Amino acid sequence: MQVDEAARVAHELRLARDKRERNARLLKHVFLIAMSCVMLYPLFWLLASSFKPENEIFGNLGLWPSEWRIENYTEGWYALPKSFTVFYVNSAIVTVLSVIGNLISCSFAAYAFARLKFTGKTLFFALMMMTLMIPYHVVLIPQYVQFLALGWVDTYLPLVVPRFLASDAFFIFLMVQFFRQLPRELDEAAMIDGCSPYKIYWAIILPLSLPAMGTAAIFSLIWVWEDFLAPLIYLNDIKSYTVPLALRLFLDQEGQSVFGQMFAMSVLSLVPVVIFFVLFQKLIVRGIATSGMK
Amino acid sequence: MRRFFVRNAPGYVFLTPWFIGFFLLALGPILASLYLSFTRYDMVASPRWVGLDNFEYMFTRDRRFWKSLEVTFAYVALSVPARLAMALGVAMLLDKGLRTISLYRAIFYLPSLLGASIAIAILWRQLFTADGVVNQVLALVGIQGPGWITDPDTSLYTLVILAMWQFGSPMLIFLAGLRGIPKDLYEAAEIDGTRPWRRFTRITLPLLAPVIFFNLVLQTIEAFKTFSSAFIISNGTGAPADSLLFYTIYLFNEAFKFFRMGYASALAWVLLVIIAVFTAIAFFTSRYWVHYENDRD
Amino acid sequence: MSGLTLRNVGKNYGGLSVMSGLNLDVHDGEFLVLVGPSGCGKSTLLRMIAGLEDITDGTISIGEKIVNDLPASRRGLSMVFQSYALYPHMNVRKNLAFGLQNFKMPKAEVNRRVAEAAKILQIEPLMERKPRQLSGGQKQRVAIGRAIVREPQLFLFDEPLSNLDAELRVQMRAELASLYNRLGTTMIYVTHDQVEAMTMASRIVVLRAGKIEQVGTPQELYTNPQNLFVAGFIGSPKINMLETTVTERDGQLVASVDGFNEFTLPELGTSDRSLTLCVRPAAVKIGSGAVRTEGRVRLVEYLGSETLLHIALSSGQVLLVSSSTIHSLHVDDTVVLGFDPTDLHYFDASGERVQTVQERQST
Repeated sequence: MQVDEAARVAHELRLARDKRERNARLLKHVFLIAMSCVMLYPLFWLLASSFKPENEIFGNLGLWPSEWRIENYTEGWYALPKSFTVFYVNSAIVTVLSVIGNLISCSFAAYAFARLKFTGKTLFFALMMMTLMIPYHVVLIPQYVQFLALGWVDTYLPLVVPRFLASDAFFIFLMVQFFRQLPRELDEAAMIDGCSPYKIYWAIILPLSLPAMGTAAIFSLIWVWEDFLAPLIYLNDIKSYTVPLALRLFLDQEGQSVFGQMFAMSVLSLVPVVIFFVLFQKLIVRGIATSGMK
Repeated sequence: MRRFFVRNAPGYVFLTPWFIGFFLLALGPILASLYLSFTRYDMVASPRWVGLDNFEYMFTRDRRFWKSLEVTFAYVALSVPARLAMALGVAMLLDKGLRTISLYRAIFYLPSLLGASIAIAILWRQLFTADGVVNQVLALVGIQGPGWITDPDTSLYTLVILAMWQFGSPMLIFLAGLRGIPKDLYEAAEIDGTRPWRRFTRITLPLLAPVIFFNLVLQTIEAFKTFSSAFIISNGTGAPADSLLFYTIYLFNEAFKFFRMGYASALAWVLLVIIAVFTAIAFFTSRYWVHYENDRD
Repeated sequence: MSGLTLRNVGKNYGGLSVMSGLNLDVHDGEFLVLVGPSGCGKSTLLRMIAGLEDITDGTISIGEKIVNDLPASRRGLSMVFQSYALYPHMNVRKNLAFGLQNFKMPKAEVNRRVAEAAKILQIEPLMERKPRQLSGGQKQRVAIGRAIVREPQLFLFDEPLSNLDAELRVQMRAELASLYNRLGTTMIYVTHDQVEAMTMASRIVVLRAGKIEQVGTPQELYTNPQNLFVAGFIGSPKINMLETTVTERDGQLVASVDGFNEFTLPELGTSDRSLTLCVRPAAVKIGSGAVRTEGRVRLVEYLGSETLLHIALSSGQVLLVSSSTIHSLHVDDTVVLGFDPTDLHYFDASGERVQTVQERQST
């Protein structure tokens, strides 16, 4: 009898708790959905405005254009002295080369730091970590002087070459974190199996680090794609402009009612990033969690 | 000697690109800019040694230098805590009791990924114009919004709000950190009848301290480096009335608009020192408030 | 041709010496087991032999050749790791062939060796699988296969069975033993499990804190431990240790142990008067023995073929007694127990074995 009573009470308590938790969950969802809307609204507004006629963009919160002006895109593409085809090709060249450079040079350095023994490793690693902190602005001027002397200004070399020299320590750090998780016994087994350190890098570490390489590739792709400061300094000729520089040109024409076109091209510039984000969301999230950065 | 070489060779070979990069792109330039900071240099004539003139001018007579420091510090002080609070709050909401967090996580992270782009800076500028979206929303609730980017009193807030909008990456790091807190600690506290707020201050915060610390250092450095969005929103000048004269913008303009490379180098070094000091303070004070789980060994 | 010799081998980490002046001869074709508690340096020693760790002092030679500076791959040995260390991105066949290909061996020979190893280890159906699709036991076989295909002069095993569950461990132990019988190659095997050591070894090396405590056949270690550590480490259930003070009476040595009747010791080659007497649980008898006392049963562990009794003496010390005949005792029963002095091992105050004069004459 008593047992039944206890069971009944426990059951009721559990029901009450479940109900409380269900309500809490519901509340949370409502809140998170509302917040998502606020977060995404600017992006949707941008997208909507890119299709709107000029007079509808401002003074209007609605997201549905009264008339879809595809012309914003077709005209925007050719609105600047050079067509966006040129800018996209330029951005693509810089991005692809930079990503390749980053992957090669950073994985080299990371492999050395994570797996090899050599004199001075601790010191170099500390120096590498310190470069994470250095603002680009601090090295900018001497680098500019240096590249100017080399005749590299107005070429892509100042944007690309540093990436082949492991200039972005973030990726080294990301890969070091990943390499360290691979069991060391694999290297040792490979050593006994007759592998040199070079072969171990190529035949063991790299194939096992594809997820980390993927993460690094995506991040570096997105950042280089969005990079503004370095192109701003090194690229003067509009023929060699990358997409972000081109977008800025729209701002100089402000007042001439080209907002629709400017938004249309802005949307297009974000498309690659969003696509990569959607496709590789998992890699990106995991990358941030393991490196604990950015 | 030969043995030393054989043992170390692979490490040095793999580090060669980094070595070159480190010396030519980091250490060399840092030292070069230290030298340049004691010179007057316009890129036409060769650098002329002026001793401490640049620094003397900077600290005693350059009102724009102080203004840019003020703007930058105000931005750091406002945006970093706001962003971290958002990140932690949302991370805690996402951490418990919800099974399908990945969609939310993606939505909240997306702005961080896009945020650095010029497109977003352009968008932001338009959102905060006098008849822009933000003021219209405010009008709906009967508030007459300010001019935002044209008003020196409010322009900085547009950038602070932009920073808050991009709370995604610290959020992800917090989420990973929260995952690392053993669930049984909360269960034990619940059985002991600990109230939720106390659970937060006594369990979550202390155990998350290393992650908070990490985020704080990182985000502070990031905030000091802010450039592109401020550059676009202020039309490259720091306008209006220098209210968006971020340190980096001031430096950039001194260097690449007025070609005062020596003075800009001095500015660069001061920035480096400021960031170094902040990082050092964070690290040296961290042991008083950050407790790592494996402190004992 | 391929004995292994270690002379004055030492190892420092930074300034910390973890091993010094170590000498060891491994005979050609023997199954040598390195055993000791964790942190004793047994894995380090194995890795030094393998060439995965540098040695700070001394020489290691395989056959007649000093291999100190030879990289691991050129020492003609292969190694089986505790975690198996199979290459996760290669299937079983590639895992086996990888090392051979690195040595530029002709393809036909590679295939022949891989097929043969697969046959010996009965892993032929698994050849196209990736390591993550294998069970623990199968991974273990592949790891051994990878060692076999190299046809090395020396096999190294680093606690290869410790990741397996109990049943598989016993099975793999037997298979390793038969593999050894079949190949007859020198094997060096590291374990912390003395049962593995006792069952498989031709000779055992007991290590503690970077020092060799004793080298010998399993039987030698069991019947003739050179010091208290070895006595305590080898043998399960653990040996009983009794502190005693010896007095001299009428020209004879008399020992008294708490609670036991005094007894005469044989002539000992030491002048030490405080000794530790050790007696194996199997040598303690219930109800008989020349030296006796009373005790109370604390715990009865029935193991089937034998029963393990924990018996508390009046001094509070607990003696282990194993017996295959007594099944009728219960907790709190009072029993008489005893042993014969001939079953005793004697150790002096520094823990070294004290030989009786008789023993010394016989050796």
